[in-house]
Amino acid sequence: MRWAAAGAGGVVLLCWPLLVPPYFVFLTSLIVVNAIVAIGLNLLSGYTNQLSFGHAGFFAVGAYVAAVLTLRAPALPVVATLALAGLATALVGLALGIPCLRLEGLYLAMATLAFGFVVVEAILNLDWLTRGNDGLAVPAARLGPLALGSDAAKYYLVLGVGALMVAAAVNIARTRTGRALLAIRESEIAAQASGVHLAAYKTLAFAVSAFYTGVAGGLFAFVVGFISPDAFDVFLSVDFVAMIIVGGLGSIPGSIVGAAVITLLYDWLAAFQNYRPLLFGLILIGCMLFMPGGIASRMAKWTHQAQ
Amino acid sequence: MRTLLTVLALLALLGAPPAGAQTPGVTDAEILLGGSNSFSGPLAFTGEQITKFGVDLYFRVVNDAGGIHGRKLRTVYYDDGYKPQEAVANTRKLVEQDKVFALIAPQGSPPVVATLGYVEEQRVPMLFPYQSSPVTRGKKWVFQGMTVSDRSSRMMVDYLAGQRKIKRFAAIYQDDEYGKSFLAAFEKDLGRHRLKLLAAESVKRGVSDVSAQIAKLQAAKPEVLFLVLVPGPAAQALKERQKIGWKDVLMVSTGPLTDERYLALAGDAAEGVEGLSLWPDPVTSDLPGVKRYREHMTKYFPKNEPNRYSVAGYFAGMLFTEAAQRAGRALTRAALVAALESTKGFESGILPPLTIGPDHETQKQGFWVRVEKGRFKQLTDWLRSE
Repeated sequence: MRWAAAGAGGVVLLCWPLLVPPYFVFLTSLIVVNAIVAIGLNLLSGYTNQLSFGHAGFFAVGAYVAAVLTLRAPALPVVATLALAGLATALVGLALGIPCLRLEGLYLAMATLAFGFVVVEAILNLDWLTRGNDGLAVPAARLGPLALGSDAAKYYLVLGVGALMVAAAVNIARTRTGRALLAIRESEIAAQASGVHLAAYKTLAFAVSAFYTGVAGGLFAFVVGFISPDAFDVFLSVDFVAMIIVGGLGSIPGSIVGAAVITLLYDWLAAFQNYRPLLFGLILIGCMLFMPGGIASRMAKWTHQAQ
Repeated sequence: MRTLLTVLALLALLGAPPAGAQTPGVTDAEILLGGSNSFSGPLAFTGEQITKFGVDLYFRVVNDAGGIHGRKLRTVYYDDGYKPQEAVANTRKLVEQDKVFALIAPQGSPPVVATLGYVEEQRVPMLFPYQSSPVTRGKKWVFQGMTVSDRSSRMMVDYLAGQRKIKRFAAIYQDDEYGKSFLAAFEKDLGRHRLKLLAAESVKRGVSDVSAQIAKLQAAKPEVLFLVLVPGPAAQALKERQKIGWKDVLMVSTGPLTDERYLALAGDAAEGVEGLSLWPDPVTSDLPGVKRYREHMTKYFPKNEPNRYSVAGYFAGMLFTEAAQRAGRALTRAALVAALESTKGFESGILPPLTIGPDHETQKQGFWVRVEKGRFKQLTDWLRSE
């Protein structure tokens, strides 16, 4: 039964560009991109309890690495470009993760917040490479002779990479690493007493989270086709946090649902951006009061009651 | 595996949008236009004035007079907060979901540049973007709004170096497309007069402290300092000059900067400053078009003060209406473009008679102003940029 449902879902996802207008294909691509970030952030915040308000910074690093690589080395296949974007971002994550080991709670949030600003400043100051405020037009991704220019082609790229990332995340969560991260969330002292190397695992969580966000940033650059520092402000980081809170901390399906809810909300509210922070605030407060586990835990409860 | 690949390839091929027979955004009863603009972020005031109090003001006048060939005009706007990626999403939403007939008065170089490729590919007219970089040139479906930087520069340099015989120039510019396109144009035009820029200092966007730059520029001893900035830092530059007592220099503002907001921010430090103005004074001008604009503003939006942004939007609405009238009842996107391209000597009562050529530029002129007692006083007639 579950397999049949999953199969049907898979078929719908594969045929999606045939079923809906191109704008929805574009929107779905954005949802998948955001879902990859949400999963990455969840590995850090939901599993390991390390709050980050700087993921827009990682996202920007990934986007710019992918864009610059595509412009300077057009022959590189998109898979390699994305992998390099992810690795470069993971290195940045490592560099940020090590000094952040000593920080907790509010102080960690502040450090990551500052990181987001530093990335934007760095992009502005590296204008020989990034064209500063003017932004970069990103050419279509290439897979050998194939240029992935249409919405459908971009969608399949995003979907393929997204599926890999989800599978990897599920595996990470199930292994010793995932359990170690969860143990850190529940109690650092208890985890340490059970032989979990705190520093190593926290740094690993930062790097893996950055890798996910970097890959998503690269995909974002291809999907939208234009990036500039204005895109990666602190509100984007807040949006990412909102996604995992609404979806469910420490849940991979929750990350995907949260990303979809927030992305669609953005789309519906395009005409009144001024009210967006207000509405987001209300949603977050509502979630914390009435569904502290996010949509994912609420759904789990329902299915449990139904059985 | 192979079948899967074949299916995927087929799906990718079929992803291209089918061509529709009917013109999007045009029904028997109405014409739908739209735009992505700033309603939040640094240019929120400008964005709101251009669209909701400018374009829409003129459209209300048209609708109350019966519309265009019996069709009423309706607009839909989305907020991009000056962020290019949101402008891309909004523009796609407007074209693919709302199915607008044309895009009207988007604002800012980065958001406009980010969407240019898409509108050309989709063959959607982009009407009168409010930005000054020449990147919109040579696009079949784009009609530039504001006077572009190279024309502004030509008028400014020819007037100052030609008529006023000034020899020593320097510039302070914003470090982005807006600033750099002006800088390149200044260098070229000064070259024609066998002059060059003595010094040029850049300011990062969003930075308001310009004291270091002003000190360096003072050392170069220019007679004229071009201000290629946005209102905040430009006002700061004027105040800084007043503070350090730098008197023997004429501060000159570019077209996009010469506005009331910049004056208000600078206060008495703005006295005596000169500049190129792209629009007649919205409050004091007695040109017939500007008078009508003020009457309409008092009638429909009595609480909104007249300003040059709503004048720009009002003019954009007027230009669209004029072309759509001539395009006839069978309105298509191609017919609109053809009508705009054949605009000859159009009298708006706001700008000089307008002829749009193959360059698709709808504003090519400006005139010289000096700030006296907190208002812009006109010093010259319309200057020529050709």
